[in-house]
Amino acid sequence: MQLRLDRIRKEYGDKVAVNDLSLEVPEGVIYGVIGPNGAGKTTTIRMIMNITAPDSGRVLIDGRPPDGSFLNRVGYLPEERGLYKKMTVSEVLTYLAELKGYPASKARADMVPWLERVNLAEYQNSKVEELSKGMAQKLQFVSTILHQPDLLILDEIFSGLDPLNMELLKDIMMEQKRAGRTILFSTHVMEQAEKLCDHVCMIASGNKVIDGRLGDVKAQFGRNCIHLEIEGDGGFIRALPGVKDVLEFNNYQELALEDGADSQAILRELVGRVKVLRFDVIEPSLYDIFIDMARIDPSQLVADPEGGSHV
Amino acid sequence: MSKFWVIFRREYAQVVKKKSFVVGIILTPLSMIGLMIVPAFLATRAATDPETLVIVDQSQQELGQRFAESLAEYTLDDGRSYYDIQNTLVVEPGDDERMRDLQDSLNAAINDKQIKYYVVFKPLAQHHPSDSVFMVSNTDNLRTQKRFENKISYLLSTLRLGESEVNLPVDSVLALTRQIELTVRDAKGASIPFMVKYLSAFVFVGIIMGMILGYGQQVMRSVIDEKNSRIMEVLVSSVSPFQLMLGKVLGLGAATMTQVAIWVVLGLGLYALRGSVAMDESIGRIIFNPAIVIFFVLFLTSGYVLYSTIFALLGSIVTSEKEAASVVAPISLILMLPFILGIHVIQEPNSTLSIVLSMIPLLTPTLMQMRVAFVAPSLTDYSIFSGMIGQATLGLVLVILTSIMFVWIASRVFRVGILMYGKRATLPEIMRWIRHK
Repeated sequence: MQLRLDRIRKEYGDKVAVNDLSLEVPEGVIYGVIGPNGAGKTTTIRMIMNITAPDSGRVLIDGRPPDGSFLNRVGYLPEERGLYKKMTVSEVLTYLAELKGYPASKARADMVPWLERVNLAEYQNSKVEELSKGMAQKLQFVSTILHQPDLLILDEIFSGLDPLNMELLKDIMMEQKRAGRTILFSTHVMEQAEKLCDHVCMIASGNKVIDGRLGDVKAQFGRNCIHLEIEGDGGFIRALPGVKDVLEFNNYQELALEDGADSQAILRELVGRVKVLRFDVIEPSLYDIFIDMARIDPSQLVADPEGGSHV
Repeated sequence: MSKFWVIFRREYAQVVKKKSFVVGIILTPLSMIGLMIVPAFLATRAATDPETLVIVDQSQQELGQRFAESLAEYTLDDGRSYYDIQNTLVVEPGDDERMRDLQDSLNAAINDKQIKYYVVFKPLAQHHPSDSVFMVSNTDNLRTQKRFENKISYLLSTLRLGESEVNLPVDSVLALTRQIELTVRDAKGASIPFMVKYLSAFVFVGIIMGMILGYGQQVMRSVIDEKNSRIMEVLVSSVSPFQLMLGKVLGLGAATMTQVAIWVVLGLGLYALRGSVAMDESIGRIIFNPAIVIFFVLFLTSGYVLYSTIFALLGSIVTSEKEAASVVAPISLILMLPFILGIHVIQEPNSTLSIVLSMIPLLTPTLMQMRVAFVAPSLTDYSIFSGMIGQATLGLVLVILTSIMFVWIASRVFRVGILMYGKRATLPEIMRWIRHK
């Protein structure tokens, strides 16, 4: 399922929560929406889910406005988690799946492997209120995907999870992607997005800052550099093609490369002349890029409605 | 619409599975029968033991003696005298000291429950009829009071006639002016005691009110609970708010109906047994009257839907149960109104004011049922286009139309209100939601 936002806008009083945001989520990718708290991520997601109506702009599913079947084909994990406390795990999962038009009998059969997967098998007949917070989170995640949605929308999916469970959910997300599902998730923790997503969209103060394939974004906005440790005289390095600058440290050097420079060519040059102890191409982290980009006043950024953006 | 059924089923099961549901099924009719039958039984019950009294006579006309003799006509079921006159004391008119002592000891006897009444004929009773006789008692027994009034009036009239210049035989004048006791019968020739009608009308209203408040608030609590547990966002990303609200209201409504249906079945069982169960015939005329039963079910259902949409709406506006309590109060007051207005409606069920009041949709379920309960046992015209049944039908239609309007408004407010966390909506905001597309 492919999702497109066409200049959606939401204002609360004088405050613009989402400012004419456009983005395109291709089918079968993991799409990360990142940005600090209050950037407008949840408002954007709520507009996709038609929980909040946009003031202007459109949400398009496979090129058309969402129809009646959209809700059944999407799995939504809201930022504000919650389940019926008095129902049992099995009842809650069946009920929520049924509300998605998924047959109760199938839900009851399908939940067993899922509960095993997230280590909740023994709680199938326990009441939700008996679960710990982390277990309830995993249960809610299962309820989001049990009905086999084509599109998963996961708001702040990792918040409140321990590293082990984070890994577990990441694995499941990767599997879902391989099964052809489209996943849009939001987080304010960039490291997680970096490990997981194919596409990334950064928003700050309701404006899109960057948007594109993860690699492209890094190539476009990153300052590639090489972490280098050698034995021998490295004085020639500064003159190599593609090298913009060399920072000397006690026992290593950092090479800043020009845009589009070929790090492999530099390595080949080095191997012939000095003994290379360490050659490390360091990609800039999303965090670095974001810090760089968000420092720019977002109102000076022009967002391209066709996806991709430029400064 | 299949999702509506999913919600409907869950809400229904949530209530029906609870213990309180079973308890309600049993306790409500028991208290209803208790409320209806016990007071009616007590009110119409004849005494089983003679009532004791003492007569004090200062009249010098043997009024005390004659009064005692006149009471002999009242007997108990077993043939004994109804009134056990322990003593008839004659006191000289000027003997105030003895009179005081006597009254002191009689008052003490009344307090000790040795006697039930004492009646004092003061001197020159015939010239001061209004205050020349008094009775002291610890109880207000209407029946005895009425009998005594009757007999004493008769005695005094006899005296006055004898002393007057009117030249007619005293006996025939008294015979001509004799007081009668008026028996009230309805057009069917039946006589249902006022007390029975009065109580049953209020019991019906009480049940309707109680169930609307009880189950209606459950709708509100259910909405608040889903808001507070934050599951609302998952729900509205699965179903439309309209389906959600309709499923909730009708699911809980079906639970209410299950309860009523069980009662009706129990009632039919009672009806089948009516010959073998000792029950006042007049009560049977009310609780087995088809018009009353049918309208009871209809008004309970429609009233429930009407009020529970209001409760759902309130639930989506407020943020906590505590806050809800303050907005429920006015709704409860509206539901209580029939108990205040009912006094008039019961006295004059067919007055213009009663008819108008019972046509106000928020009051119809209770007030109209009150009128139906009061009037229907005597009805000869069962047309749904005229008379009491016609008005009740019109009232029902108005309630249904109002409910539809409320569902419409509520689902709009609900749509936005359910996602308001932490902050109660203001009235201008609510108006905007209603207009919002």
